[in-house]
Amino acid sequence: MTTIEAPRSAEQTDPKKTGIIDSDVHPNFVNGIRDLTPYMTETWRNRLGVSGDDWAKGMAAAQFTLPLDYLYINAAGAYREDAARPGMPPATDPDFTAQHLLDKHGIYRAVLLAGQCLGIGAMPDGMVAATIASAYNEWMCERWLQNDVRWRGALVIAPQDPEAAVAEIDRVAKRDGIVAVFMPLGEILMGEKHYWPIYEACARHELPLIVHPSGCENVFAKAPRMAGTPTFYLEWHTALGQIHQSNTLSMICHGVFEKFPKLKYIIAEGGFLWALEVMWKLDRDWKGLRNEVPWLTRPPSEYLLDHIRFTTQPFIEPHDPKHIGPLMEMLHADRTLMFSSDYPHWDFDNPQRSLQTVSKELRQKILVDTPRAVYGDRLD
Amino acid sequence: MTDTVSRTRIVVEKLADFAWGDRRIVDVDGRSIGVINVGGTFHALRNNCPHHGAPLCEGVVKGTMEDTPAHEYSYVRHNEYIVCPWHGYEFTLATGRSLVEPDKIRVRVYEVVVEGDDVVLYV
Repeated sequence: MTTIEAPRSAEQTDPKKTGIIDSDVHPNFVNGIRDLTPYMTETWRNRLGVSGDDWAKGMAAAQFTLPLDYLYINAAGAYREDAARPGMPPATDPDFTAQHLLDKHGIYRAVLLAGQCLGIGAMPDGMVAATIASAYNEWMCERWLQNDVRWRGALVIAPQDPEAAVAEIDRVAKRDGIVAVFMPLGEILMGEKHYWPIYEACARHELPLIVHPSGCENVFAKAPRMAGTPTFYLEWHTALGQIHQSNTLSMICHGVFEKFPKLKYIIAEGGFLWALEVMWKLDRDWKGLRNEVPWLTRPPSEYLLDHIRFTTQPFIEPHDPKHIGPLMEMLHADRTLMFSSDYPHWDFDNPQRSLQTVSKELRQKILVDTPRAVYGDRLD
Repeated sequence: MTDTVSRTRIVVEKLADFAWGDRRIVDVDGRSIGVINVGGTFHALRNNCPHHGAPLCEGVVKGTMEDTPAHEYSYVRHNEYIVCPWHGYEFTLATGRSLVEPDKIRVRVYEVVVEGDDVVLYV
């Protein structure tokens, strides 16, 4: 039987209506921090001991690594095996990555998150962290954003030094392809005034602020605190939501979203169902404790629903799939969730498969509409 | 008054024995009602918090924090509110309406007056 394909309507092909947005992809360095040296001043190359032959010879420089999850062992490797090629570690080659992720899954835009800079908030020297952040931003713009229009970038800042962070936001915010500000997490909870200049800059440039786990949680003194240091990768990986619970509560209770009503905040790979209990308990307690935070003029859950968005990966897999619908409803998932793949990591979510348990209408919101509302015209 | 519903008149206490800050809980046909003397002004409210059924009228009487910008405080309207002793919901003494959800969470208030030497509650 022959069928004649009906011409596609403009609506079907308009990427603003159908283009999948992936909010969590990690570009990687080939040679660690050495990839960044072309983007640093000679002074800073000297300061870091990565100038000229010093890199190969100097013990100090050879031992200098960016804080990441070096202490947890995922025996299978934390990366997709199929994302590597001989001599090419995963997500180090923009062309291959574009084919492997964007072409294969029909992704319209993908937001690059920090690569190996996820943990620089744990570094003791904020000036070093800020220098690495700046160099990373140059590297990302040149190597990735200029390579393929489908790549979008979150500019990285160092949270230790808000003044330097604001300068970096002002320096990079207007560049082509920049859609967000990525803040590596540190030991200070996110509602505190320390961060307010950063929030002001994000709101002023209308760039959402994104956070993501680093693997440094409770490992370094300046990394985000957990109740203790998890022993196992499995344990650490499952517990990441607790960092975000604390930060979400801190931001809401300090009145960050009253102070900066235009601020949008994206929690990438931090889970999201914890937000249900946070919202319900916060609203309940606030009714009796509002005198402590009189700047909250609405039930606190409303700040969460209006300002905070969650990326989906790793998407929930309840024991009984029929529980997904009610959970999505409770979470107001039609406005709070945004798709992410976490490419090239081992627990990758496929946009065509991972959301099959939710309705078609909700899938459209998660894959397209909500990220569009968050990033706006910077996607096109 | 055009009110055709009959009201019960209850003498709560001799005025001379009802000091500022004092309160009395009276039972009227199974309804617990609190009568409170706030600086010489009497208030009477249903002694049953609509949230979880706490004895509301055993709570503290105080003012509240005004809406302010983040990290600023302003204490206002001293002694216009009673705070539920269980979960801290604040109710406006004069109206029985809660501060957080005045239309949804509210308690009945009653007329309480001084007649001669008596503090009298009308239910």
